[in-house]
Amino acid sequence: MRILVVEDDFLVADAIRRGLCMSGFAVDCASDAEQAAAALAAEHFDLALLDIALPGADGLTFLRRLRNAGEHLPVMILTARETLATKVQALDLGADDFLVKPFEQTELAARCRALIRRSNLKSSGQLTMGKLRIDITGRQLYNDGEPVELTGREWLIVECLALSSGRIVTKERLQQAVASWDQAITPNAVEVHVSRVRAKLGDSVVLRAVRGLGYRLDEPR
Amino acid sequence: MSESAASSTSIRRRLLLFLLPPLTLFMLVGVFINYRTATIFVRAAYDQKLADIARAFATQIQQPEPKPLAAPAGILFSITTPAGQNRAGEPRLPTAPAGASQLTYADATLDGHDLRLVTYRVATATITVAEDDDSRPNPGRFILASNWLVDFIQLDVTLLIVWIGVHFGLKPLLTVRRQIEARSARELRPLDAASVPTEVRPLVDALNLLFEMLTGAARAQSQFVADTAHQLRTPIAGLLGSLQVLMREPAATPLQSRLASLYEGVSTLSHSANQLLALAQADRATSLTDGFRKTDLKAVVERVVERNVDRAVECGLDLGAECSPASVDANSRLLDDLLGNLMDNALKYTPSGGRVTARCGYDGSHPYLEVEDDGPGIPESERPRVLERFYRIPGSAAGGCGLGLAIVDEIARQHDARLFIESGAEGRGTRIRVSFARGRTEIHVAD
Repeated sequence: MRILVVEDDFLVADAIRRGLCMSGFAVDCASDAEQAAAALAAEHFDLALLDIALPGADGLTFLRRLRNAGEHLPVMILTARETLATKVQALDLGADDFLVKPFEQTELAARCRALIRRSNLKSSGQLTMGKLRIDITGRQLYNDGEPVELTGREWLIVECLALSSGRIVTKERLQQAVASWDQAITPNAVEVHVSRVRAKLGDSVVLRAVRGLGYRLDEPR
Repeated sequence: MSESAASSTSIRRRLLLFLLPPLTLFMLVGVFINYRTATIFVRAAYDQKLADIARAFATQIQQPEPKPLAAPAGILFSITTPAGQNRAGEPRLPTAPAGASQLTYADATLDGHDLRLVTYRVATATITVAEDDDSRPNPGRFILASNWLVDFIQLDVTLLIVWIGVHFGLKPLLTVRRQIEARSARELRPLDAASVPTEVRPLVDALNLLFEMLTGAARAQSQFVADTAHQLRTPIAGLLGSLQVLMREPAATPLQSRLASLYEGVSTLSHSANQLLALAQADRATSLTDGFRKTDLKAVVERVVERNVDRAVECGLDLGAECSPASVDANSRLLDDLLGNLMDNALKYTPSGGRVTARCGYDGSHPYLEVEDDGPGIPESERPRVLERFYRIPGSAAGGCGLGLAIVDEIARQHDARLFIESGAEGRGTRIRVSFARGRTEIHVAD
C-alpha cells in the first residue's frame, strides 16, 4: 500500500516516512502542493497525508483542488492547529481524517490502515484486518483464509465492530444492532455473544472490552 | 483605603459640610429677625399702657377736686409743675426729654433698676409714668425659645432629607459597585451602562473602556501563548516521530535505554506545550459563553476514555466508565480538556495494576463529571495547592508540568462548576469531581 506524505518540515516528513515504512507501507514525500500534484498525476497512491501549513498553496486549498478534480483518494490532514473551525472546514472539503501533531507513530499507522481499509471496503465490499477478511457484501468472515461459521447475531456483532474498528462500540449500539435481528435481547446476552465471537476470532485481532462502555476491535500491533 | 480617607471623600459628608454653615447662618438670622419684630410689638403695647396711665393722671389732676393719686402696682410716677417742682409721686424719677409730641418715651435707671418711662406734658403739669423693665412679662423670650426650637428642628429635618436624598441618589453607584464586587478576576464583560443615571454613565463608560482594554490585553497574552505552543508542535512532532522510528531500528538496540529517556523528555516537552495551549484556550474562552451548548456528559466521558484506552493498556491499568445520562450547558471542547486532564493525572500517578474510572451523572440536581483512581492519593494538606499553576506535589514521581489541575480549575470556573478533591473509595486514591450548577439553560432563557 502506497502513501503520499505532503509535509514541508523535513524532520516530520522523514519520521513519518521511516515509521510508515516499518509498518509495511511504501511511502513517497512531497514538500509542497506542486510536487504533490505531480506525484499524484504520475503514480497511484492509496492514501495522502496532508499538512495544512505548506509553502505556497496550503493543504486545504490543495485538498479543494483535488476534490474538484474528482479525485477520491483518501486524505488525512496532519496539523499543529487543532481549532474546531479548521477541523470542520477540512472535513467539509472532503478530508477523511484529521490528526493533530504531535502524534504517536503507532496511532498514525493504525489510522492509515483504517482509512485504506474503508476505501477498499467502498471499492470491493471487503474489509481486511490482520489475518481477518470480512466480506460485508457476501456476509462471510474468513480467518487466515478459512471461512468462519457465525450465527446471525454473531455476524451482526462482527460487522458492527469491524465497520468501526479502532473505535469503541458501545454496548447499547451492539444491542440495537442485534435487536433488529431478534426483538428482545439483554445486555448480558450481548456479552455472551461477544465472548463467543472472541473465541472464534482467536488472536487474529484484538477484541478489547472497555469497562462500562463497550468493545473495541483492533488489529494486533 | 483607610477609614478616615474614605470618609473625607464621602459625597454625603462633603455635601452636609457644605450645607451646614449657610443653613445655620440663615437660621440664626431668621431667629434674630423674629425676635426683634416680636419685641418691638410687645414694647409698643406696654408703652401704650403707660401712656394711658399718664393720660388718666392728667385728667385727674385737672379735675376741680382732685382725688388722691394712686398708681397700679409696679408703676412709678411723678407729677411736677412745668417749672420742675414736684407735686406728687416719686421725686427722684427722671423725665423723658421733651419732643415734638406731648408724649415722649425714654429708658432710665433708678436704684439699679432699668425703667421704661413716658412723660406726658400738659399745660399745668409734667406727668411721668415708669415701669420696671423686669416687672414686664417678657413674651419675647418665649417667642425666641419657640423660634429656636422650630428652626432647629427645621435644620435637622433638612439635613436628614439631604442625607436620605444622597443615599437614594447614590444607589445606582452602589449597584455598580455590587456588580463589580461580584466578579471574578477574569470576568471582564462590560457593565450595563443603560440602567445607570446620566451623571454616573461617564464613570461606567470609563470602567467599560478599561475592561475592554484589559480583555484585549488578556486575549493578546493568551493568543501569544497559544501561537507559541502551536509553533512548538511541528518540531516536537518531528523529534518524537524520529525518536520512535529510531527506537524501532535494530541498529539502535544497544542505545535503547538512552533513547527511551530522551523520548520521555521530548514527551514531557510535548505534553507541556499541549497543556500551555489548553490553558491559553481556556483563558481565552472566558468571554465566549455564547459558545455554550447543551453538552451530553456521557459523550464527553466516551470520547476521553476512548482516547486513553491504549495508554491505559500500556500502563497496565483497568480503565473504565460509569455513566448515567446527564447534560449541561457547556463548551464541549473545554469539557474534553477538563476530563482529559483529570484522566491524564489519574493514568500518570496510578501504579500498574490499578483501576481508573471516569463517571458522569447527577448528584441531586447537579450534573457532574469525575475521575477516580486507586493510586497514592493527594494528601489533604496539598489539596488547596494543587490547583495553582506549575505547582507539583513535593516528591511526586512522573514527569508533569503542574498545569493539569490549573486547567481543570480554570475550565470549571468558567462553567460555574465546583471542584471537589477527595479520597477515593475506602479512603484510597483520589476522586476529583466537577459539579456543575444546575439550570444554566434556564438562566440563559431568562436572559
